[in-house]
Amino acid sequence: MCENCSCGNDHNHDHDHDQNVLIPQRGKIINIVEETSDTKTFSISTIDDKKPFDPQPGQLGMLSLGNVGEAIFSVTNKGENHIEMAIKAVGELTNALHEVEVGQEVGIRGAYGNGFPLDFCKGKDLLFIGGGIGLAPVRSLIMHCIRNRDDYGKLTVIYGARSKADLCFKEDLFENWPKVPNMDVFVTIDREEEGWDGHVGFVPSYVEELALKPQVTVVCGPPIMIKFTLPGLQKMGYADTDIITTLEMRMKCGVGKCGRCNIGSKYVCLDGPVFTLAEMKDLPQEY
Amino acid sequence: MVDLTLEIRKTAKELLEKGEAKVVLGWEKGNFPYSTTPVFIDKPEDTERLIWDEYCINNLALYMLDYKHLDGKVGIFVKGCDSRGINRLVQDKQLDREKVILIGLSCPGMKDEKKAKELGPNADIPMAQKCQDCRYPDPVVYDVFLGEKQNKKVPEKIDTSDVEEMETKSPDEKYRFFTTNYEKCLRCYACRNVCPACNCKECIFDQTATGWLAKANNVSNNMFFALTRAMHVGGRCIECGECERVCSVNIPIMLLNKKIIKDINFLFGDYDAGLETEERLPLGGYDYTDPEEFM
Amino acid sequence: MLVVLKAKLKDILNTLAEEYKVLVPAKIEDTSKFISYKDNVDIILDENVKLSPKDVFFPQTEKMYKMKTVKTSMELENITDEAGKKLLFGVRSCDMKSLDCFDQVFLTKGYIDEFYKNKRDSVVTIALSCSQPMQTCFCSAMGVDSQKAVGADVQAYDLGDKIGLEAISDEGSKVIELIKGQLTEEGAEVPQPGEFYLKVDADGVSEKLNGMFESPIWDDVSKKCLNCGACTYVCPTCHCFDISQEVRGENVTKYRCWDSCMFGEYTQMAGGHNPRPTKKERVRNRFMHKLNYFPDRYNMLLCTGCGRCINVCPVNLDITSVIKQIKEAE
Ligand SMILES: Cc1cc2nc3c(=O)[nH]c(=O)nc-3n(C[C@H](O)[C@H](O)[C@H](O)COP(=O)(O)OP(=O)(O)OC[C@H]3O[C@@H](n4cnc5c(N)ncnc54)[C@H](O)[C@@H]3O)c2cc1C
Ligand code: SF4
Ligand code: SF4
Ligand code: SF4
Ligand code: SF4
Ligand code: SF4
Ligand code: FES
Repeated sequence: MCENCSCGNDHNHDHDHDQNVLIPQRGKIINIVEETSDTKTFSISTIDDKKPFDPQPGQLGMLSLGNVGEAIFSVTNKGENHIEMAIKAVGELTNALHEVEVGQEVGIRGAYGNGFPLDFCKGKDLLFIGGGIGLAPVRSLIMHCIRNRDDYGKLTVIYGARSKADLCFKEDLFENWPKVPNMDVFVTIDREEEGWDGHVGFVPSYVEELALKPQVTVVCGPPIMIKFTLPGLQKMGYADTDIITTLEMRMKCGVGKCGRCNIGSKYVCLDGPVFTLAEMKDLPQEY
Repeated sequence: MVDLTLEIRKTAKELLEKGEAKVVLGWEKGNFPYSTTPVFIDKPEDTERLIWDEYCINNLALYMLDYKHLDGKVGIFVKGCDSRGINRLVQDKQLDREKVILIGLSCPGMKDEKKAKELGPNADIPMAQKCQDCRYPDPVVYDVFLGEKQNKKVPEKIDTSDVEEMETKSPDEKYRFFTTNYEKCLRCYACRNVCPACNCKECIFDQTATGWLAKANNVSNNMFFALTRAMHVGGRCIECGECERVCSVNIPIMLLNKKIIKDINFLFGDYDAGLETEERLPLGGYDYTDPEEFM
Repeated sequence: MLVVLKAKLKDILNTLAEEYKVLVPAKIEDTSKFISYKDNVDIILDENVKLSPKDVFFPQTEKMYKMKTVKTSMELENITDEAGKKLLFGVRSCDMKSLDCFDQVFLTKGYIDEFYKNKRDSVVTIALSCSQPMQTCFCSAMGVDSQKAVGADVQAYDLGDKIGLEAISDEGSKVIELIKGQLTEEGAEVPQPGEFYLKVDADGVSEKLNGMFESPIWDDVSKKCLNCGACTYVCPTCHCFDISQEVRGENVTKYRCWDSCMFGEYTQMAGGHNPRPTKKERVRNRFMHKLNYFPDRYNMLLCTGCGRCINVCPVNLDITSVIKQIKEAE
C-alpha cells in the first residue's frame, strides 16, 4: 500500500495530489549522449534545476515537446537533479527530440508504473538480459543495484544488439560496469563484423550457452527476443516468479484513465510495465 | 416474402453443400420486429437463419472487402443497391468479380427502421428514404435470380429538389444549415465505414499522425471530414443511402452526395454509378470536351 | 411526496435557473441531448435522450492546457473551467449509474483526474424515473433500478401528469428548498416500472467470460462489425480518450478527445505492431471490457443497459444478443 497518501496503490507514490496529473511540469534538457545512430540519452531537469520526480527503477515518464506531442519512456537512471531517458527515433516526437539541443525546454510528468520489485530482488544474484533499446528499463535497475551494491548479490548482464554500432550504453557496458565488484558483463552482436572480437550470435542462444543461473532474471527487449529467451530460461530451471520483464502498449495518459494500454483488466501504465512471467501467464495473449 | 425466404435458404444451402461457395452473406432476424442483421453462413445447417423481409436494408457489398483473400467463392444476396455496390468494388479494383456468386433479389423497398422504432408496433411504417429515392430496385448484375422482377415504377431521374432548394438559399443560410448539422457530427465514421465507395485500404482520416485532420471534434474539422468524404465518393457514389441511414445524429448526408451527383450530371452528362464496370468514371479521367470554366 | 404538474415544470426550472446553470433533456436538430435550459427548449420527458449526458462531465473535446513555445522555451498556461454550479435535470437511472462507473475510472486507483473532478463537483443532479422503458432498454438486467437512481441529489418520479420529487443528498435538500413554494404535498407512491421489451439474463456473464478470451464466439460476433465508433461514442460508460494538440504558430493548445477501442489506430504501436490488428480483437475488447475486465477491476459492470448502442449500430450488433451468446457458449 502507498504510504504517502491514501491513493490505494500497492506501491509508494510521491505525486502531489493537488497537481493535475495530466499537466506536465516545465522541464529542460541538460545533457544529450548519442548512444547509436538512432538512439540518444537525454538528461532532464526542471526549469529550476531540480529532479522532476523521484522515480523507482523501472518506472516511466511522459516527455513532451510543446508543438509536437507527448510520449512515454522508461527512466533509465536518475541523478541528484535530473532523470535520464534513452530514446529511439521512430516517429514524430522521437525524431523531433533527436533534433533538439541542450537547453531545450520540455514538458515532463511522472513517475508512472509499478517499477521493479526491489524488495524481492534484495540479497539475490541477478541476471539482466537485454536487447537493443530494451536495455533502457533494465538500466535503471542495474544503476540502482550498483548504487546500493551491498544490498544485492552477484550482478550479471547479457546484452546484444544487431551490430556494434547498435549497442546502447557503450560506456556502461565496456568501461563502468566491468569495474563494479562482483559484476560480469557479456555482450554479443547478431553477425560477424570487422573490428569486433567479442561474441557473435543472438541473445537467446548466448543465454543458453552461458548457462548461468543466478536467482532472479530480468529480461527486456524486442518481443521476438523475449519469446525465444523464455523457453531457455525455463529449461535452466527458473520459476515463473523469478523471471521479470516489462511490457509495452500504446499509452496516452500514463495514469490508468485513457483506457488504451489494457491487457485484460490490467493497465500496463499503472499495474505494469513490470510483470513476472507468472503474472504474464494470467494475462490474455494480447500484447 | 415468406416464399422467397425459403428459396433463399435452399439456394444458400445448395451453394454450400456443393462447395461452390465457402460462405454466404445474407440477413437474419434481429431482436426487434423491425431489425435484421447481416449474417455470414458457412455451414449448410445454419442456412435456416437466413430471412428475407421488409427490413433487410443493409447493403452487404462492402463486406466483400473482408473476403478479398479468401480461398474460394463468396455467395451474396443482392438487392438493386447492393448489386451496384458490388459493381463499385469491382470497378475500383477492390474485388474480383469471379470471386462472388451474386444471388439477385428484386427489392420491394425496405421500411424505415428508425420510424418503426418511433411509431411503435401497430403503426403503418413508411418506406425508408433511400428506398423511396431508389431507381434500380432490381439488381443490375447477378448470377442467379430468385423470385420475380417487379419492374416497379421508379423515379426516372434522380430527385434533386432538396439540393435545388438549398441552392436558392443565401450563403449565410447555407452556412448556418451545414454548421448546425456538422456541429452534431460525432465523427464516429459509421457513414464512411458502411459505404461501398469508401474502400481505400488506408483512409486519410485514419492517418492521424499526418496532421491532415486532427481528432478534435469541432465544426471546422467535422466539415473538412464531411466535404472530403463527399468529394472522394464523387462520381462513384451509388446512391445507396447507407451513409445517411446509419448516421447516429441524423445528418442529411445525401444532400451533399446529391449535390455532387447533380453537378457531375450537369458538367459531364447524366451518369449513374455502379451500373456497369467498364466505362471510365466521370471524375476518373480527362477529356478534350470536358468543360473548363473553372480554369 | 412533493409533486408538481408536468405542465408547471418550466416554472420550477425557471426558479432553479436563477441559482444554477440548468441543463435539460431536449430535442434538438433531429436528435436529443442535454442542453442549457431556456424557456423555449423542447424538453422531452417520455423517453431518454439519444446522446448521453457524459459530455457534461467528459466533453468530446476538452482543452487541457496551453503552451507558448518560442525557440527553445516552453511556457505552460492553465485553462480554468467556467465557474458556477450546474444542475442536470431529468437524468435516467442508467445514466446516473454510468456516472458511478466514471467515478471509478477518473477518481480512484491512485490518480484523480482533475478535469473530470472539477466538472463532477460542480454538477447537481435530479434523476428522473422511467414510467415506460423504451424498446431497447434493458437496465434492470444490468442491476440498475429504473425507479431509483444511484448517486442522485434529488430523485424525481414520473407520476403521469405530475412529477414527484424527493431530496436524497444535502445538496438535493437545498434544491428542494429553492422550489418548495411551487410544490404540493401529495400521498403519491414510488411508481412501478413498465414491462421491458428486451428480455436479458446477464447473471453470471462476467464470471463466464473468465475463460472465454479464446472462444470462437468472438470470430462469429465480430464479422458484421464495421469498426465505426458509433456504439462507443453514444455509450454513457465508454471513457477512452486520446491526447493531442492544436498548434497555431507559437501557441499550442493541448486537448483530449473521445477515442474508441473500435479504431485500429487506438493500439497501433511503433514499428507497425498492433496487438489488436483486426475487428475480432477490437470487438472482443469492447465486450470484455464492459462485461469482464471492468467488473474485475472495479467490481461493477461497464454497461448500464441504456440501449443506445443497440439503437445506433448500423448493422444491429446487439449487446443483448452477445450476452445471450456468451451465456449459451460451451
Ligand atoms: C512502457 C513503455 C516504455 C517505453 N520506453 C521507451 C524507451 O525507454 N525508449 C524509447 O525510445 N521508447 C520507449 N517506448 C516507446 C515510445 O513510447 C514510442 O516509441 C513513442 O511513443 C513513439 O512516439 P513518436 O511520437 O515518435 O511516434 P509517432 O509518430 O506517434 O508514431 C510512430 C509509431 O509509434 C506508434 N506509437 C505512438 N505512441 C506509442 C507508444 N506510446 N508506444 C508504442 N508505440 C507508439 C505509433 O502508432 C506509430 O506506429 C516505451 C513505450 C512504452 C509503452
Ligand atoms: S455517421 Fe454521422 S455522426 Fe458519424 S461521422 Fe458520419 S456524419 Fe458524423
Ligand atoms: S456515399 Fe452514401 S449513398 Fe453513396 S455509396 Fe456511399 S454509403 Fe452509398
Ligand atoms: S456501432 Fe456496430 S458496427 Fe459500429 S463499431 Fe459498434 S458494433 Fe461495430
Ligand atoms: S454498452 Fe450499450 S447498452 Fe451498455 S451502457 Fe453502453 S450504450 Fe448503453
Ligand atoms: S435504460 Fe432504464 S433507466 Fe435508462 S431510460 Fe431505459 S428504463 Fe429508464
Ligand atoms: S496510458 Fe492511459 S490508461 Fe494506460
